[in-house]
Amino acid sequence: MQSETEAQVASPRDVEAAGVEIDGVDVSYGAVQALRGLTLRVAPGEIVAVVGPSGCGKSTLLELVCGLVEPDTGRVRAGAAALMPQRDALLPWLSAVDNAGLALRVAGASRAQARAAAQEHFAAFGLAGFERSRPAALSGGMRQRVAFLRTLLAGRPVLCLDEPFGALDALTRLQMQRWLAGALEREPRTVLLVTHDVEEAVLLADRVALLSPRPGRIVELLDVDVPRPRARDARAIVELRERALEVLGAP
Amino acid sequence: MIAALALLALLCGWEALVGFGGVDPLLLPAPTQVLEALWEDRSLLAPDLWATTYEVVLGLAAAVAAGAVLAIAMHLSPVLRRALRPLVIGSQAVPVPVIAPLVILVLGFGLAPKVLLVALVCFFPITINLYDGLRGADADARRLLRSLQASRWQALRLVEAPAALPAAFTGLKVAAAVAVIGAVFAEWAGAERGLGHALLTANGQLETARAFAATLLLFLLAIALYGACALLERRVVDWTPRTGHGGP
Amino acid sequence: MRRRLLGIATLLACALLLAACGEKSEPGAGAATGGGPAEPLRLMLDYFPNADHAGIYAAKASGAYEKAGLDVAITPPPDPSAPLKLLLAGRTDLAISYAPELLLAREQGAELVAVGALVQKPLTSLMAVGKAAIRTPQDLRGKRVGTAGIPYQSAYLKTILEEAGVDPGSVKETNVGFNLVPAMLSGKVDATLGAFWNYEGTDLARRGRKPVIQRVEKLGVPTYPELVFVARRRDLDEEFGARLRRFMQATTRGHEALKADPAAGLEGLLDADKGLERGLQEAVVKATLPVFFPAGGERPFGYQDPAEWQRYADWMLEQGLIKQRQTAEQVVTNEFLAGEGLDPGTLSQD
Repeated sequence: MQSETEAQVASPRDVEAAGVEIDGVDVSYGAVQALRGLTLRVAPGEIVAVVGPSGCGKSTLLELVCGLVEPDTGRVRAGAAALMPQRDALLPWLSAVDNAGLALRVAGASRAQARAAAQEHFAAFGLAGFERSRPAALSGGMRQRVAFLRTLLAGRPVLCLDEPFGALDALTRLQMQRWLAGALEREPRTVLLVTHDVEEAVLLADRVALLSPRPGRIVELLDVDVPRPRARDARAIVELRERALEVLGAP
Repeated sequence: MIAALALLALLCGWEALVGFGGVDPLLLPAPTQVLEALWEDRSLLAPDLWATTYEVVLGLAAAVAAGAVLAIAMHLSPVLRRALRPLVIGSQAVPVPVIAPLVILVLGFGLAPKVLLVALVCFFPITINLYDGLRGADADARRLLRSLQASRWQALRLVEAPAALPAAFTGLKVAAAVAVIGAVFAEWAGAERGLGHALLTANGQLETARAFAATLLLFLLAIALYGACALLERRVVDWTPRTGHGGP
Repeated sequence: MRRRLLGIATLLACALLLAACGEKSEPGAGAATGGGPAEPLRLMLDYFPNADHAGIYAAKASGAYEKAGLDVAITPPPDPSAPLKLLLAGRTDLAISYAPELLLAREQGAELVAVGALVQKPLTSLMAVGKAAIRTPQDLRGKRVGTAGIPYQSAYLKTILEEAGVDPGSVKETNVGFNLVPAMLSGKVDATLGAFWNYEGTDLARRGRKPVIQRVEKLGVPTYPELVFVARRRDLDEEFGARLRRFMQATTRGHEALKADPAAGLEGLLDADKGLERGLQEAVVKATLPVFFPAGGERPFGYQDPAEWQRYADWMLEQGLIKQRQTAEQVVTNEFLAGEGLDPGTLSQD
């Protein structure tokens, strides 16, 4: 039973409304050029990971897709996108369920409606029993899951995830990667996943875009043609990881 | 505990000083004399306490109302911010003892000028703290709302205003502590009742113990006000501020 | 047809308007006894209500103002310099102030006039407490005197010292603001100039501090009335003059009642300010009664001696407190006081 806003999500097969097309885009902030001549196509339902050194403009890329930033040159066409910021941006004064339903409230739903819609998914997200908890009472992994649920409930075909697991410890990160893979299988979306973890990119994405240092542009696009579920130690995965690191210039 | 003992020691020393003739009780009455005056003159001081409390509470409320409007206006409009910020800061620099007689001149001897003066004293801490709180809302949360196509009003209501509450309460507590001063100056400039007025009359008749008793009540009033605001804060700001990320 | 009705209506409206205006410009019917509503009169005190005002409050409490057809509103001032300012601004009809303040205000161009004396003699005094109390001005040599920082009071001190043959340079004058009594009690000053002998003097005596008091008019300062009723010259038309006269009459009665029974007359004052202590106020009233009325019993309450005023004004000129000479005829009038057949000393027009 989906809420009304969710039902309006375009099916991932609809290219116009669910894909991302970035053509030769330049973005500058004052004297600093964040992106230069960046071109990227993401098909509906595809998961593309964006990896690069810090400061290479990964977050700017997401902001471009979400419509928060206009390119200086070039063109961006994307379906409606929901952003999951780098730090979970959970509002500390709202309960978990109210945080999850934030997008619905902004869209005009009442507090009760938003809560009801969010509540349904709590069990599936491993958050059962924590509906009324405040973010401060949740573990890091749980907070990320609430934030991801919030992002999903925005009901948009494109998801822009900005280093969703960056602040988690290694163990939690592994668990969350597995969890995310499963979640995206249940709810397929067009996903742009920014991460600094090369292995994570290879494990989760259909393709991996490797960005140069600032001003960022795509240096190489790796196809991850490995069936899911993927194992960290599978040879194909390891090879791809090595290739990516090589391109990025890691020692 | 230490503080209580220190206070007790101070009071004993004070009592002894006066008791042994070290200082004229007309200049500095002993603590027991002050408490005696507080009890004996209670029928006199009680309505004065009520009057001053009324002025202070109304003035604080007025400052909160005006401060909220101005802080939000400055937050939403850069033009207003440029225009109003110097005035807000200037309001703090206005010497209340000098302004008070002028306000009385214009507004008379009633309640209005006193409320206005208390509001003037409270206005700056409330407004500036609320304004800073609004500005300091989490940037990621704001970006998130923008990406959800939230209106300016929604951003204010859902993120900025709640985020500003801790800072706002800081401002309110500061204001509560100094509001009493505004009321006293206002009463000194022209009043028929109130603790400030009682203080003046008592001094004029060398009723120093009563004057001290009135001062003690003013002090307790300020503390009670601060405490009330702190209590309110605990009820309203019932979330812990962001710390780091935890474990699994 | 409609236009004619409109014309008549307009005429009617104009007539009513004129009638209303006309009513206002008529001199107020002197409703001394019965008939006509009470006319307002706003009086501003010089200071918080205290025993100096007992007679006024007695008049109010006994209904003397009411009987005179007056609705008298008594207000304490926001600050000591306010009464004359507010009088000039028209925020009050009558103000109680001090003789030197009046002369200073007049020098600034204020068209103000003293219409009656509330207290006939100076209350300002040279006061000392303690063992080594100052008993004569000569004792002041080499000592420290506290004042309120008011220039004309400093001039009193200078005059007193000169009269006593004491070198003013040998006396240290310290500005203690309003804290004259604490300054004396703490021993930080040897004497003060500015405390009222009837008020602070009585208060200290009742508390066993044994103050030694010397009145300034006995030490060489020309005598003056400490508290006077002041009005704006341009208000003194026939209508207001009538009101003022009734006010002074009723105030006289209030003071007479006070003299007859100080304790009873005090009730009005005590009602006005609950913080006042009865014992002290009664003692102050009793001490002040002699100077509420002119000496000799011939002149009416509130009488001001033009010769005295002139000597005082000339003294202020000598001391450089005012720069232009002022004459008693310009400053003072007795025409609104009670009593018939009195030579009012016609008020000259400036």
